[in-house]
Amino acid sequence: MTLRARLGSLRDLGLAVAIALVVGSIAMLVAGVNPIVGFSSLLDGALGNRSELGETLIQTSALLFPALGIALAFRGGLFNIGAEGQLVLGGLAAGTIGADLHAPALVAIPAALLAGAIAGGLWGSIAGFLRARFGANEVIATLMLNVVAALLASYLVNNLLHDPAGQSSETALVLANAQLPVIVPGTRLTIAILLALAAAAIVRYVLAETIFGYELRATGEAPEAALRAGIDVRRTALLAMTWSGALAGIGGAVIVLGVLHRFNGQLSPGYGFVAIAVALVGRLDPLPITLAAFAFGILQSGAVSMQAEAGVPREIVAVVEGVVILALAGQRFLGARKSRVR
Amino acid sequence: MRFTVHAGEIHALIGENGAGKSTTAAIAAGTLAPDAGTVTAIGTVGLVHQHFALIDRLTVWENIVLSREPRRGARIDRDAAIARVRALATEHGLAVDPLALVGTLPVAVKQRVELLRELAREPAVLVLDEPTAALAPVEIDAFFVTLRALAARGTAMLVITHKLREVIDHANGITVMRRGAIVSRREAATTDANELARDMVGGELPALAARTATVAGTCRIAIANLATEPGAGALRDATLHVDAGEIVGIAGIEGNGQTPLADALAGVIAYTGTIALDGIAMPPSVTPAQRLARGLRVIPQDRNREALVASWSIADNVALGAHGSRFARGGRYDRAAARTAASAIVRAYDVRSGSLDARTGELSGGNQQKIVVGRALAGNPAAIVAYQPTRGIDVGAGALVQSRLIEARNAGSAVLLISFELDEILALADRVLVLFGGRIVGAFAGTAIDRATLGALMAGAV
Amino acid sequence: MNVTSVLFAFVALTLIKATPIAYAALGGTLAERAGVVVIGLEGMMAIGAFASVVVSNATGSPLAGALAGIAAGALLAALYALVAVRFGVDQIVAGTGINLLAIGIAAYGLTVVFHQAGASHEVPALGTNGEIVLVALAFACAAALHLIITRTPWGLHVRACGEDPHVARIAGIDPMRTRFLAVTIGGALAGLGGVYLAIGELNLYVDGMTAGRGFIALAAIIFGRWTPFGALGAALFFGFFASLQVTLQRAGIPSELMQALPYLAALVALAGFAGRAKAPAADGVAYDGS
Repeated sequence: MTLRARLGSLRDLGLAVAIALVVGSIAMLVAGVNPIVGFSSLLDGALGNRSELGETLIQTSALLFPALGIALAFRGGLFNIGAEGQLVLGGLAAGTIGADLHAPALVAIPAALLAGAIAGGLWGSIAGFLRARFGANEVIATLMLNVVAALLASYLVNNLLHDPAGQSSETALVLANAQLPVIVPGTRLTIAILLALAAAAIVRYVLAETIFGYELRATGEAPEAALRAGIDVRRTALLAMTWSGALAGIGGAVIVLGVLHRFNGQLSPGYGFVAIAVALVGRLDPLPITLAAFAFGILQSGAVSMQAEAGVPREIVAVVEGVVILALAGQRFLGARKSRVR
Repeated sequence: MRFTVHAGEIHALIGENGAGKSTTAAIAAGTLAPDAGTVTAIGTVGLVHQHFALIDRLTVWENIVLSREPRRGARIDRDAAIARVRALATEHGLAVDPLALVGTLPVAVKQRVELLRELAREPAVLVLDEPTAALAPVEIDAFFVTLRALAARGTAMLVITHKLREVIDHANGITVMRRGAIVSRREAATTDANELARDMVGGELPALAARTATVAGTCRIAIANLATEPGAGALRDATLHVDAGEIVGIAGIEGNGQTPLADALAGVIAYTGTIALDGIAMPPSVTPAQRLARGLRVIPQDRNREALVASWSIADNVALGAHGSRFARGGRYDRAAARTAASAIVRAYDVRSGSLDARTGELSGGNQQKIVVGRALAGNPAAIVAYQPTRGIDVGAGALVQSRLIEARNAGSAVLLISFELDEILALADRVLVLFGGRIVGAFAGTAIDRATLGALMAGAV
Repeated sequence: MNVTSVLFAFVALTLIKATPIAYAALGGTLAERAGVVVIGLEGMMAIGAFASVVVSNATGSPLAGALAGIAAGALLAALYALVAVRFGVDQIVAGTGINLLAIGIAAYGLTVVFHQAGASHEVPALGTNGEIVLVALAFACAAALHLIITRTPWGLHVRACGEDPHVARIAGIDPMRTRFLAVTIGGALAGLGGVYLAIGELNLYVDGMTAGRGFIALAAIIFGRWTPFGALGAALFFGFFASLQVTLQRAGIPSELMQALPYLAALVALAGFAGRAKAPAADGVAYDGS
């Protein structure tokens, strides 16, 4: 990435913050809250002490995985709007394995994470397959698959996978060995954040240094040229959607294994959609995406205390995120959309 | 720059690619604002576009009345619109079916629709940007008869072209441009093609590489009964071969099967019939990657879309195609090797750019094409398919590209040159085949080519 | 209960389930014929539903609520058109932003206006007669849209902009203006779909009540081959599956799997028709003003 692009991503981050301030202030005024009070309670709630910072980093990790997945797909010229569904199914798979597999932590945790990756990856690959095989628009397919995933997860957890001892709409508690270890005492912060940072480094490496990354970028930027250069663009599209889904699935898995310790309806307040904003603010480049995930993590975790302390409904976050996406959709990040290879 | 076109005159504006002709046309027609200076026209100015400004999925009448629809209440008065188009077509002797979908029409008829749309606005001046680019020689003559008739009724014509022959045959005054300025003003009656060419280039035409004697008879590309998915411009039944050490030129008007031929060889579309390279069959199941590995290189027509990744550096683009072989180390992309290969091409082809990190999208067309050709010719490939290799680039870069193709031929490659520029084919080819309606309809050896017969074959008139 | 009345109930339910999808699909069809893909149909439905409930609650007039819902859908669509048409940003991404924004505004507004999260309290609704009118109006809208697109000068301009905005510009049409208007009218129709959900079929706003209908509408546009009657037919097709789901659910089959039926039908339709149907040539392609 050139220096110019790096400055550009910093500018985008600054723009996103400015928009968040303006839109958030207007929304707070509508609700009759002094924006200064609102924002200070948001920042205080997100960064005020060790435990709150821990919560913010938990949100960061929950956003970073799907955002990396989305960036991977976007760079390959595919709009994965289905991270939400991939994340939910990944969480369910990880919760199920985590509650069932009696094994040492060194086996149980990787196995549960892998289950999440496989579930998310398979779900992502459906849209990739429909696109590669039938030319079906992956945007509409993933939007539809989000709804189906939510219904499927709800069906499974209500009928087949629910906790026999607990409530009907949640899985059994994840066994202690499969729970992610806390790394900062006094917080709920687990190794999830380290895993997320490692994932960012790996995605960066794959995109920039490997043949697969090279082919993925060629397919995204110039599909006709990629095709003629001997790249199997259909296979690349399928792989991109699968890996994208797998990353989102791991995102669901770390929330279940690290925070909730079981799968239930609280898994995602829309991480899969917010992650689109994160990926865009980060210009589809893993390093700035990491910063963007932290910024949005502040928003997500601070919103809770803002609601409690300043009386601003936490849904304000979705409003701000929507406007940020609208404002940043203008960046030129894909040359491929006009001339796709079917 | 300053020039005038008079009523009743067909004035030609010529120059090589990038000289500023199309910009001048757009300014004259008012679709582009000049940075300085003025355009004065008595009456309105119409512009006939090089790549027709028509909508394929609308009918002829809809295209012609678009934005000026006759109305009946809130609705379009369809009958009146069709009658208007019929009357216009009759008045100018340009036969078209108002109800036909434009996308189904042959190029020459589309040209008529484009012309009718402008004539419907009764322009005092008509600017025509490369109007004959997609017409057969006989169609070109007919087209100029139409223009002459319009001129006789008082319309001033400004024809922008790079085809010197038709300028001399059909125009009155000729203005020559080079690098955004007018360099000369000639009369068609008193000039010749050499003089115009010297004016355009600013000196003598660059010489091409010499052709050396090669040993004939080793067939490298063998194509038999090749056909592609039926439709306009499909390949129907093409049989041809290219030997080692020869350039075979495919002459023809655009839309007669050239694109499917290049795409079938590249392995990006389905086909029936056979293609063999050095005696080994290549059914459609052989992937583009395998074709590249076997030494078949295709220089595609549209370099921006089909050959280069505009946002990538020269080095990364040079690796494209060999990224999985020459420039791979395990699963890693060997960027250093790509840079080394790129700098070799930049030197050998005189690519003018600041650095290997420059984005190819920011280079001129000529420099882009040098990269595409340099990449394709690297490592003495068995066979080269060059589809419009000098399209839209300046004469200097074009001569360099053509010379490299001749050198590849000298070194034993089989070169299939597909071009819409007859002059290019005649300058390079050892043999010429004529492609019409998806079939090879004529063959000529290099020394016995009769332009008139060739032109007739290209129009399907045999 | 005899066969006739069961059949009648099933047909009625199909119409009820198809109507909101039909409005959104008709609106989306108009926008896509002008060359703008509206991923934000879902959000426009949601904002239409929410605005109709708020205004019906404030004024006591469901008719005023319905008009407000239409206006809110149009307003959100105008915002979308501003960024997607005027500034030429990526339509898929901007549409996703519109959805997030609309659903956020509705959720935020619920707390601000009704002081409760999740759902509003009950408000004056259009009633059975109003619902019937809205169902019939969807058919009338399809017919009107068909005539507008195929017979009027503006319809021709819309088609021209959807096929090639540059050519339209050369002919003397302002593609941005045409697209802006098409998207805004499309948003008004999607808003009306939301009105139907909130104060036609029901009498309150519930978070997530659009439940992906806007996305099904996107599939209906493709399935309907970008024609108004096609979109209407596709909406009825998906309405049939939604109705089937309700009927089977009453028969005791696990509800979640049945609820997925219309979405699965849309996925299958999408895969089956993607290759064959041909979108307007410039559908989803930004026009840069040249």
